[in-house]
Amino acid sequence: MAAAVAERLFRTSSADSIDADLAALWRELAQRDVPIARAVMSNLVVFRDRVAAPDAHVEAVMTDLPLDDVVARHPSRLIVLEHESGREEPDAPFASGVGIATFGPESARYGIEQIVVRAACTEASLPSIVRRLARGDLPTSVWWTEDLAAVPLLESLVTMGRQLVYDSRDWRDVGAALRVLAPFVEEHRVDLADVNWRRLGPLRRALEHAASETGKPVAAAGARVRIAHHRDEASLAWLLAGALMAAAKRPATPPHVEAAETGDAALVVTIEHETERATITLSSAGATVERARAGSPLVVSMPLESEAEAVAAELRLLSQDADLHAALAALVRLF
Amino acid sequence: MTIVIFGGNGDLAHRKLLPALYNLHVDGLLPPRLAIVGVGRKEMTDDAYRDFAKEGIGKFSRRPLDEQAWGAFSKMLFFVNASIDGESGLAPLGAKLDTIEHEGGMKSDRIYYLAVPPTLFAPTVRQLARSRFVARETAADADAPFARIIIEKPIGRDLDSARAINDAIAEVFDERQIYRIDHYLGKETVQNILVMRFANSIFEPLFNQKYVDHVQITVAEEEGVGTRAGYYEQAGALRDMIQNHLLQLLAMVTLEPPHALDADVIRDEKLEVLQSLRPIAGDDVDANVVRASYAAGFITGKPVVGYRQEQGVDPNSRVETFVALRIFIDNWRWAGVPFFLRTGKRLPKRASEISVQLKEVPPILFNARPDARLDPNVLSIRIQPDEGFSFGISSKLPGPDVRPYPVKMDFHYGSTFGATTPEAYERLLLDVMHGDATLFMRRDAVEAAWRWVMPILDHWSRQNAALPTYPAGDWGPAEADRLIEAGGRRWRPL
Repeated sequence: MAAAVAERLFRTSSADSIDADLAALWRELAQRDVPIARAVMSNLVVFRDRVAAPDAHVEAVMTDLPLDDVVARHPSRLIVLEHESGREEPDAPFASGVGIATFGPESARYGIEQIVVRAACTEASLPSIVRRLARGDLPTSVWWTEDLAAVPLLESLVTMGRQLVYDSRDWRDVGAALRVLAPFVEEHRVDLADVNWRRLGPLRRALEHAASETGKPVAAAGARVRIAHHRDEASLAWLLAGALMAAAKRPATPPHVEAAETGDAALVVTIEHETERATITLSSAGATVERARAGSPLVVSMPLESEAEAVAAELRLLSQDADLHAALAALVRLF
Repeated sequence: MTIVIFGGNGDLAHRKLLPALYNLHVDGLLPPRLAIVGVGRKEMTDDAYRDFAKEGIGKFSRRPLDEQAWGAFSKMLFFVNASIDGESGLAPLGAKLDTIEHEGGMKSDRIYYLAVPPTLFAPTVRQLARSRFVARETAADADAPFARIIIEKPIGRDLDSARAINDAIAEVFDERQIYRIDHYLGKETVQNILVMRFANSIFEPLFNQKYVDHVQITVAEEEGVGTRAGYYEQAGALRDMIQNHLLQLLAMVTLEPPHALDADVIRDEKLEVLQSLRPIAGDDVDANVVRASYAAGFITGKPVVGYRQEQGVDPNSRVETFVALRIFIDNWRWAGVPFFLRTGKRLPKRASEISVQLKEVPPILFNARPDARLDPNVLSIRIQPDEGFSFGISSKLPGPDVRPYPVKMDFHYGSTFGATTPEAYERLLLDVMHGDATLFMRRDAVEAAWRWVMPILDHWSRQNAALPTYPAGDWGPAEADRLIEAGGRRWRPL
């Protein structure tokens, strides 16, 4: 369910007056009859690579992404950085706006600061914008909203954060995206949070349950693994492949991953080991494990979670997901 | 009462003093019979001076210019073309004051504000004495008209020159008549340090070496040297910021509980702190002090030049625009607690903060995993911008797991009280009118600060190596990081 904005104040600003304009908005809100708490648990830097229309209003950015829904769930100082990489102008940033959105009932109303900066300046100068706008005493997460293969990560910007949030579902070319991600995986520079990885949760839990029932892993070393995926779910399939490879400690044969007709399922995984065969299906309803000579299928449901809820959940975790990191490390070695 | 501003048509009067007085007027805090007389070498009529003031108020005042309020305020403004040169240079000022005070039915209470370069402090004071503008104040004649003097930093560029200025002023004014402004002390949040420490029972028991791991004081400026290259080339960050503002902040946050809120009681306690600073001299300077100057870089996305490329700066300048220090206070309360001070120009943002970091909880229970240590509790006092303070604690994240997450108990002046906080100059000018010197620096404190700083300056004066640099828009040089990281700590990003 989308978070309802009780009130939003927004005004265009300039790079030099962002703090003063925000302070003025808070003073304006302080005149209301309803007390409003200033809520901020972290900085959320949202990077977008865009060529906006020259007359586009900076406030429009707020409606393109579920930003209100994210920050309502995990209150963050929101800094949206719209970078026009096509035209570099040393005098950027050239447009900015500041706002405060309030949420919650009158008895517990809270306000979130939102800053939008549109810049076409050099990549080297982008960190100076974030340094200026972020609250340094709070953890910073960078949400890369672009496909990593199309808009590679800017190292200097990403490493300013403690956490990098991205969604591998956006990847058109899994190999290319992994190559971009490789230095961050190998050097543990930031905590990686893949929103898409959360969708594998039911499947991974189903495999754990199945293993605990039989006393041995479903995808034991030496197992033949085939992952058939819906044409839009290549990255999810590869994430699973990475997870299985990491769990099996470098199997001799990597999983076979292919796009196929999977019906309503995102993934259909078949695992064969000696005389055993298991089929695992992941759909929007959850994960189902069916094993030959076993009883009824094992089912783990998929939590209902919007994109905003998933991002907010990752922001709250704020620590390295060791399993994701191991899966990515296995994939980086493979690619 | 009359406020006489020497340098009345200068930048400080234009940007700060006249807007501050206007705001006091709008708030109804000025005394009922007040005249403000600007003094300068330039020919200017009263009306021209009013235009000058109106422009400054329009640009720099905390409150917007209100025509009705301005109408009444402007009637208080006058200008005199006078000079401190010659026997009778100030005669026009005397005549003007006599006229204003006579026609206004005012007592001859006068405040002389020296908004002029420090080199003119002594000559101006001597001329005031020669022209019989000042009577030395004594406790016996409390009802006699008073004469007070306000001087701005820098009070000297070393201990000797500071003493010379203080001696010259002391020839004419008694110490109780002298108000040495450090505008940092006029900021609401700095005044709130005493309230926070001594009006709440939670903090003061923690403010000692038993609970405090370390303290950081940062005064960061986003601006470069700008139009002040001439002054700055003679000063540098240690003289410009540490010797006065940062040491004053340090004293406020570490002083012992005063037994009363009287000016001299509080100033005695601050002096105690300054006298307890462990000296840094000789090779200890290199181990405990880092200096650097800014190189070209970016500020909020815009490219800016390095310090040595700034207009008016020697291309081979060795003047520091950044200083970081590790300081110890050798008294019972703070023994062994490091204090890290840093200040610099062309840092990422304008921000000043005092942060008191408490010691970590033992590495058991929630702090047991070496790879997921808890954030320590930090009390941070934001001096500017977004004045207020916050206390960082760990709290359980909602959900089935027990996961601590760093959260803040946060107080903001702006959103709590809903009004702009008064500018420092407003409070300080008002205090001078009331004769309250609590927020002003006493001679002994100024000289104690210089006495502590001098060995560092002396050591630097014997060095010729190139200064480290840091890119404009960054938080300082790597050497400053190493200074604090040597003890397993790190600078708190602001």
